[in-house]
Amino acid sequence: MRQYKQLLLANKAWSAEIIEESPDFFQRQLVGQNPEFLWIGCSDSRVSPEQMTMTPPGNMFIHRNIANLVNDDDMNLMSVLQYAVDVLGVRHIIICGHYKCGGIRAALDGGTSGPVDDWLKTARCVLHDHSDEIDAQPDLDQKVNRLVEVNVRDQLIRLARTATIQGAFARGQEVLLHGWVYDIRDGLIKPMMEIDSDTVLDEIGRPDKVLV
Amino acid sequence: MPTLIPKLSTWRADLPASIVVALVALPLCLGVALASGAPLFAGIISGIVGGIAVGLFSKSPLSVSGPAAGLTVIVLGAIESMPSYQMFLMAVVLAGVLQICFSLTRAGILSEFVPSSVITGMLAAIGLILILKQIPHAVGFDREAEGIFEFSTANGINTFSRILDSLSASVTPGAILIAGISLAFLFWWDAAKPKEGPLRFVPGPLVVVLIGIFGNMLLGAVKPDWQLQATHLVQVPITQTLSQFPSLFTFPDFSGITMGVVWTSAVTLAIVASLESLLSVKAVDEIDPRRRSTDKNWELMAQGGGNILSGLIGGLPVTSVIVRSSANVDARAESKLSTMLHGFWLLVSVALIPAVLNLIPLSALAAVLIATGYKLTKPKLFTERYKQGWTQFVPFVVTVGAILFTDLLEGIVIGLAVGFVFVVARNFRTAITFACDGDDCLVRARRNLYFIHKYELQKAFNRVPDNTNVLIDISSTSYVDLDNVDIINAFIKGAQYRGITVLIRGDLALRTVKLINAPQTEVRFA
Repeated sequence: MRQYKQLLLANKAWSAEIIEESPDFFQRQLVGQNPEFLWIGCSDSRVSPEQMTMTPPGNMFIHRNIANLVNDDDMNLMSVLQYAVDVLGVRHIIICGHYKCGGIRAALDGGTSGPVDDWLKTARCVLHDHSDEIDAQPDLDQKVNRLVEVNVRDQLIRLARTATIQGAFARGQEVLLHGWVYDIRDGLIKPMMEIDSDTVLDEIGRPDKVLV
Repeated sequence: MPTLIPKLSTWRADLPASIVVALVALPLCLGVALASGAPLFAGIISGIVGGIAVGLFSKSPLSVSGPAAGLTVIVLGAIESMPSYQMFLMAVVLAGVLQICFSLTRAGILSEFVPSSVITGMLAAIGLILILKQIPHAVGFDREAEGIFEFSTANGINTFSRILDSLSASVTPGAILIAGISLAFLFWWDAAKPKEGPLRFVPGPLVVVLIGIFGNMLLGAVKPDWQLQATHLVQVPITQTLSQFPSLFTFPDFSGITMGVVWTSAVTLAIVASLESLLSVKAVDEIDPRRRSTDKNWELMAQGGGNILSGLIGGLPVTSVIVRSSANVDARAESKLSTMLHGFWLLVSVALIPAVLNLIPLSALAAVLIATGYKLTKPKLFTERYKQGWTQFVPFVVTVGAILFTDLLEGIVIGLAVGFVFVVARNFRTAITFACDGDDCLVRARRNLYFIHKYELQKAFNRVPDNTNVLIDISSTSYVDLDNVDIINAFIKGAQYRGITVLIRGDLALRTVKLINAPQTEVRFA
């Protein structure tokens, strides 16, 4: 059987199984969405946010890009963020990096060209800002791990500085930002840090290591 | 029903196979009739009906029906408790009607749930019994009726002591000679039979019967004191002329329909015969080289029709029978044409050439049945089951042992009981995941919570520490047994005394969550 046929068949079964249990499951979704979470994660095919948190449809707004980077000139993420915070009113925004991130590794190693290379500029800035600690790591694996962690920290702070989040904080809207790292080795998410309206962004230090 | 009419295209395989089955069936029909305390000819009638009528009605390609050893005890008791044999025939007819009723309630489907280890255990046990019970016949010790499956018979004789008796007491050299040559030929033919040409359609058992008849004639000429006499040969009742043949049929006494004893016999017969037929048909499906699957519910209908007919013309009750069916498989039958022809041969041979049939030595037929028995109980069958692990091997061995040392029916019941215990144990999968993070705990059902998960669920709740927030997640279930709902509600009730707050993530269908007294967390869409 062709691979894409398997997708279509699986989808038929998925729909049939859900309707068998809950005939109005899809009808109920027609009224709109009201998710609790905005997830900003990596595009890596092994890191599937809804599966690893067992989140049912309707509860998570999702944006994924290589190396889970935040740029305020990225209209894609900025529009997602604006809609999620200002219209949907999500209460939690999660940036989640992961072990063995190819984008992060490429930021360390190079070997990229074209759009990917352009995109990773932000990650190389992170490397530059934390080079003292990254360079001190004994081997490549640990360098990548640490860069994954500090990258999540830096992106979370960049997120907090965006106009959308600052506006929400100013309005007193309840939004909590979470910095997490997903460990492919054991399937566990390791929470690192949180930012809310009271957090002083300039005083945030480097998080403790969680990928050990 | 046009689909029930057999196709003739496989006649080249079915014709010789049908003759083998008829030859094997003949002494079995007589033996079962003898052991049932019925007229000998009643066994033949049952065989004819089982072949032609059940063969026609049934959708099983290879199953052969006829009088069954497993029913002898019930039939014997029923005949003795009734004023006449005609009254018993009424019970057989009623049993057939009841079987058709069973079919209409779709009871045949139950047979699909018999564990395969029990089915193969039954086959292996019947193979062993065939070998053990036929050894005495092979050496010319023909005291026990053919086709008996009980371990112990009257006078404290059992299967093993009879073999010892047969080997020590009266050795009949002619019988041993014929059986020995026959067995050697059967095993050689099985290995050496050509794959192509007309010879491939020659079934070994057919040759063996000829070896038996002509061998015995030869003994008469060469060594007369070794020649086998009538007691060691097939004994078909002989009528003087063909015109007397119809007098062998008897008809039911319909006045019996008002008698309680007729009805109790009918119900017992219907239940036991249905059970035996279903098990046998299921087992025959297992040994079908093409692994066709028979409609079991329809089979009850066919068996019921067979019993009505058999009762109406004086025959014993019929069931699908494993020994004849596996002889049919061994003889390379392809379709139900074989079983139908076997019934026809029984009819024709008993009517036209009974004297010829009575030349067949029982020891030659014993050789055929021993070879069939060996195929049912090959060592490979045991090693295969052993390799599948003890959840398959234990019920298999228990079934074999139980059938061997009691009888077919009792042994099957024991095997089923043990089999189901293992099936339940094997099917059990842990269903509860417990996770804690600080003061927050999750008790999650990763699959349906059946009754057997009660203990596991209770254990998970016992692990929840006091003064925590607990999320009970049953979103992956489509069924939670009511006993488990009770356990969840009991936990929730106790939670307020332990400083525990409970939140529930419900099932998709909202069937279970309605029954649980805790606030719900769910995805909102507006």
